[in-house]
Amino acid sequence: MSLEIKNLVKTFDNKKILNDISFKVENGQTLGVIGFSGSGKSTLLKIIAGILYEDSGEIIYPKNSEIAMAFQYSALFDFLNVYDNIAFPLVERKEFRGKYTQDEISQIVSEKLKMVGLEGIEEKYPSELSGGMQKRVGFARAIVTNPNIILYDEPTAGLDPVTSTMIEDYIVHLKKELNASCIVVTHQLSTIKRAVDNVIMLYQGNIVFSGSVQELLYGNNPYANQFVSASIHGPMNIATR
Amino acid sequence: MFELNKTLTWQGFLLLWSQIREFLSTLGNIGCDFSSVLVHILKLKINFREVIEQSKRFAFDSLPISLTIVGMTASIIAMQLAPELAKQGGADYTGMLSALVMVRELAVVMSGFAIISMVGSSFASEIASMSVTEQINAMRVLKVDPVAYLIVPRFLAGVIFMPVVFILSAFFGLVCAGLVSHTCADLSLLNYVTSMWHGLYVRDIFIAMLKSSFFGGTIALISCSCGYATRGGAKEVGLATTKAVVWSFLAIAMWDFIFAAVFYL
Repeated sequence: MSLEIKNLVKTFDNKKILNDISFKVENGQTLGVIGFSGSGKSTLLKIIAGILYEDSGEIIYPKNSEIAMAFQYSALFDFLNVYDNIAFPLVERKEFRGKYTQDEISQIVSEKLKMVGLEGIEEKYPSELSGGMQKRVGFARAIVTNPNIILYDEPTAGLDPVTSTMIEDYIVHLKKELNASCIVVTHQLSTIKRAVDNVIMLYQGNIVFSGSVQELLYGNNPYANQFVSASIHGPMNIATR
Repeated sequence: MFELNKTLTWQGFLLLWSQIREFLSTLGNIGCDFSSVLVHILKLKINFREVIEQSKRFAFDSLPISLTIVGMTASIIAMQLAPELAKQGGADYTGMLSALVMVRELAVVMSGFAIISMVGSSFASEIASMSVTEQINAMRVLKVDPVAYLIVPRFLAGVIFMPVVFILSAFFGLVCAGLVSHTCADLSLLNYVTSMWHGLYVRDIFIAMLKSSFFGGTIALISCSCGYATRGGAKEVGLATTKAVVWSFLAIAMWDFIFAAVFYL
């Protein structure tokens, strides 16, 4: 399912965090959102997820769409074990209440855990899991309702390169399995290269680059070039971060 | 010198203003959360499984400390009161006075303090941690209403189970006071029970139960609200917990005054 953002504006304390942002994610595509810290990437994701409200603009997606979000630090409920974390929306969400039997929920949870390569950890609590495992449990919880649009907030932040690669593979794998449209907010070029089709770059609330991964890596956009080369010299002023 | 004084006055004014803003903002948050909780309850959007879960915490977690505090306080009062009354020839009034003090004031306030320290602080820190680690945001994305899941059950648990804690604490306090009176002033237990019976009024018990219900709901609401509004990190979690405890103490004192003025003035 496609997702379109039109003229999105968000202001915090008289500072424009998002300034007239527009883009479209086609069905089955993954859009990478890159930019400095504080450029409005996570705010954008939170507005799409419905956590924050936009000041103006439109977020257009089909009415029956299901949006899921995988959080930067997983945001697993630490008072619930892995099973209950993943089953949470099926048990607590109003429209699902009573829809599934315990056996069906158990089957769905096992299936989703299998999709992220984690089996047999249902009884463990989040504090007993490694960072990479927590991320994958977060993914499993996000996809338990079979979403059409998945949002990833810094999915590889704080992980070692090998685990990051594994997470990137799961992002690609889940997109294929669910035929979902995805938005990945990231700082990692490896994530962009492996898991993303198109990229937009935010700087001071504006889109300063929009194009394919190839254009980002090898094009002549000065903002993209500065980001890719990790240079402190360029159109983006480090002091304003 | 004049400039320095002016600057200091201005800084003092700014500090005062920030405190007033903070106070009003907390009051506003509590008010908003209360109205939201009421709407949920009126629409019967109640997660009964969570209500039971939170009720267990409310009743069982606070009971040992509540019984200890009320029992100790009742014993201390009896220890000082019974011998004096015995000296003045009024030993027979020990039970009656204990019952009046215990039911009208002591058991309900002391168990309220116990609930604040055991349950209120834990509600506030738990919800504040959930807020700063984005667990509440995760709930919103999963389309589970955080107010219905987190605040309403805790509020209902407070309203329903605080009177239970009060009744048990008051009973235990009266038993302790009786035993201490018997030990310290050689007052017969039968006399104590008879005298106590004269000091127990059904009206007082009902007022105290209503008051404890208000206390329970207020503690739960303030604690949840302070936690829910928390943004930031570990420092803010600590500040939210402290704020919840301080506000709960003040609210209890305020309710106690209002109940005394309305029912006993």
